[in-house]
Amino acid sequence: MADKMCMVVSEGTFDKAYMPLIMGTTAAAMGSEVHVFYTFFGTALLKKNAKPKLPGMFRLFTGIFQKRMNKVGIPAHDEMMKQAMDMGINFYACSTTMGLMGVKESDLKPGVKVLGAAAFLKLAGEAKTTLFIG
Amino acid sequence: MCPMPIVNLAKKVKEMKSGQVLELLADDVGAKEDVPAWCSRTGHQLVGHEEEGKLLKFYIKMK
Repeated sequence: MADKMCMVVSEGTFDKAYMPLIMGTTAAAMGSEVHVFYTFFGTALLKKNAKPKLPGMFRLFTGIFQKRMNKVGIPAHDEMMKQAMDMGINFYACSTTMGLMGVKESDLKPGVKVLGAAAFLKLAGEAKTTLFIG
Repeated sequence: MCPMPIVNLAKKVKEMKSGQVLELLADDVGAKEDVPAWCSRTGHQLVGHEEEGKLLKFYIKMK
């Protein structure tokens, strides 16, 4: 059976949006089963029209940064998320904090599941690696 | 650039047959460590590695 790898994402900025996708697609390419759990500000990244920005004042430079990333071959956020899903990566929105953040189930990208903390912790308990991205 | 060499490699491998050798070209320095790590994890064999300036070439034999 494939190794499990879990990640928790609690922030919704550009850097925190890409990190789980880079780590996750790499882990999936190495044969792991990947589960990513988004909570608090992270839930916004799972919305259909998510356009993450760099943190703080740097948000003004998001466009330049994105162009630089495209130049080195890293796809746009939504494209990379689609690719990750095609690779079988599982994306979960935290059921508790979704409500707090005003994210509705109908706002979520197709394929994203809603999950509670207990169910995620069960997955994390079975995982060899769990990373916290926040 | 990371993670695309490894992600594209994993995709390509699905189309290949056992015993075939795949040539991977990368310009990401990280690939030097990433490709051997990927091979040891997945069981495919790294049979050769060359460097031409910034270009890295890897030859991987499919298990």
